[in-house]
Order: sequence, then structure tokens, then C-alpha cells
Amino acid sequence: MSRTKKTTLPHYELLYIVSNKYTEQEVKPIAEKIEKLITDAKGEINYKEEWGKKKFAYPINHFNHGYYFLIEFDLAGVDLKEVDTEIKHMHEVLRHQIITKRKRSLEEIEDEKRILAKQAKRAEEKRAELESGAEKKPEAKVKKSAEVAKEAKKEEKEKVKPAEKEKSKEEVQLNLDKLDEKLDKILDTDDLL
Amino acid sequence: MITQEKYCHFCVNNLKEIDYKNTQLLQRFINSYMKIKPRKRTGTCSWHQRKLATAIKRARIMALLPFVSK
Repeated sequence: MSRTKKTTLPHYELLYIVSNKYTEQEVKPIAEKIEKLITDAKGEINYKEEWGKKKFAYPINHFNHGYYFLIEFDLAGVDLKEVDTEIKHMHEVLRHQIITKRKRSLEEIEDEKRILAKQAKRAEEKRAELESGAEKKPEAKVKKSAEVAKEAKKEEKEKVKPAEKEKSKEEVQLNLDKLDEKLDKILDTDDLL
Repeated sequence: MITQEKYCHFCVNNLKEIDYKNTQLLQRFINSYMKIKPRKRTGTCSWHQRKLATAIKRARIMALLPFVSK
């Protein structure tokens, strides 16, 4: 079984960063150019994703932001090298990475999206709980009374709330960061005993 | 010292592949110095730890995760 050659093309995933010196309109032709590169090499694009402008974890060539693009495609292994070098020579692309990937069905892609959305929701809920942990009870009461009160009052309170939340956010985050650092330092020392 | 029982997060959730683009997940497996946490501390099994390490390194190359803390 393993001796028989695979007839299907291998599946690849490409993630590349376009430099921040281009505007969003200027970026589109660059993305099309790369897609054309793949299709010209007899590749087949199955999946596309645009992440938009994102901040880097560290500066690349003195740039702090860049446009991320994700493409999944099928391509013969022989032609991959050409595509890879071609992208490498493009001065608009700051960095790119091609990895082999197991091909997923459309259902699996949808499932993954659903799971990711769920995780994001849960994380947000947790964050909200942490932020409003101390304020939660009084807030709920305020809301109830506000419902009874006039609309004008409601609006005023709502205006005040975000400001309070932001303050508590920063405080909680600072405290958590400090705690994390302390814990890591303690745990990083070889052995506790 | 009290030893806590630790389980491999990926085995428990039946995850066979680790996506390097999922930075929220990967962030749990690096410490404040941005180093990959050891298996001893996270409880990850050796098979998944190897996959995790490559995923984190790939994310670092694409500036999704930092190499060093600022």
C-alpha cells in the first residue's frame, strides 16, 4: 500500500505578510499577483483568508504592522520551489511561510471555525467576569433600578460605566501581569525543594 | 511538596494537530520570558510537546509570537 504512488497533489498552506507602507487598496493587486503565481504553476487554491492589518510581536525591517494573508492550495511538489523563490524575491512581501498540511473537507473547516468562535466567546466571557468581579453585584442592582427609572437616567449611567470598566480593566490586568511574572520566576528556579 | 496530577491538554481534547496560527492557545505554553514551558510544568505528552514546539517556532517566525520579551 505504501509503495503505490499517491495520485493526489500535496496540500500546502501559505501565510505571508505584506509591508505596511502600502495602503489597503494597493495591497489587493499584490495578493492577486501571488494567487496568479500559484494558479500559473498549475496549482489549485482551495481556501483564502485575509487577516487585515495586524501588529507584529517584534519589528520586521523597522515595520511594526503588516497585512496578513492566508492561502491553502494544492500544488505539485516540483513546482513548489519556483513559487517559493518567486515570493521570496517579491520586495512587497516582508515574510512568508509555506507548510505542508493535511487536506480538510469543507465540513471540517466549518467545524473548526465554529470551535474557534466558541473558544473566543468563552474567553471573552471569562475576561468580562474577571473585570467586573468586584463590581458585578452593585451593577446588577443599578441596572434593575435603572430599568424602572427614566431613559435619560439610563443613558447617563451607561456613559459613566465604560469609563469605570476601563479603569478596573487596567488595574486587574496590571495585577495579573505582576502575579504571572512572580509565579514564573518562582517556578523557573530549578527546584523548589 | 504537593504534586498535582497534570494531563496533556491536547490528548484530553483529542487534538491531533496544533495550529501555529492559534496564538491564544500557544500563549499558554510559553512563560513570561517567552520561552517554551517544559513538559514537566504543563503536563503535555512527549508526542504533543514536539508538535507544540514546532508550532510555537513557526508562530515566532511569522511575528505572531515574540522570540524574547521586551
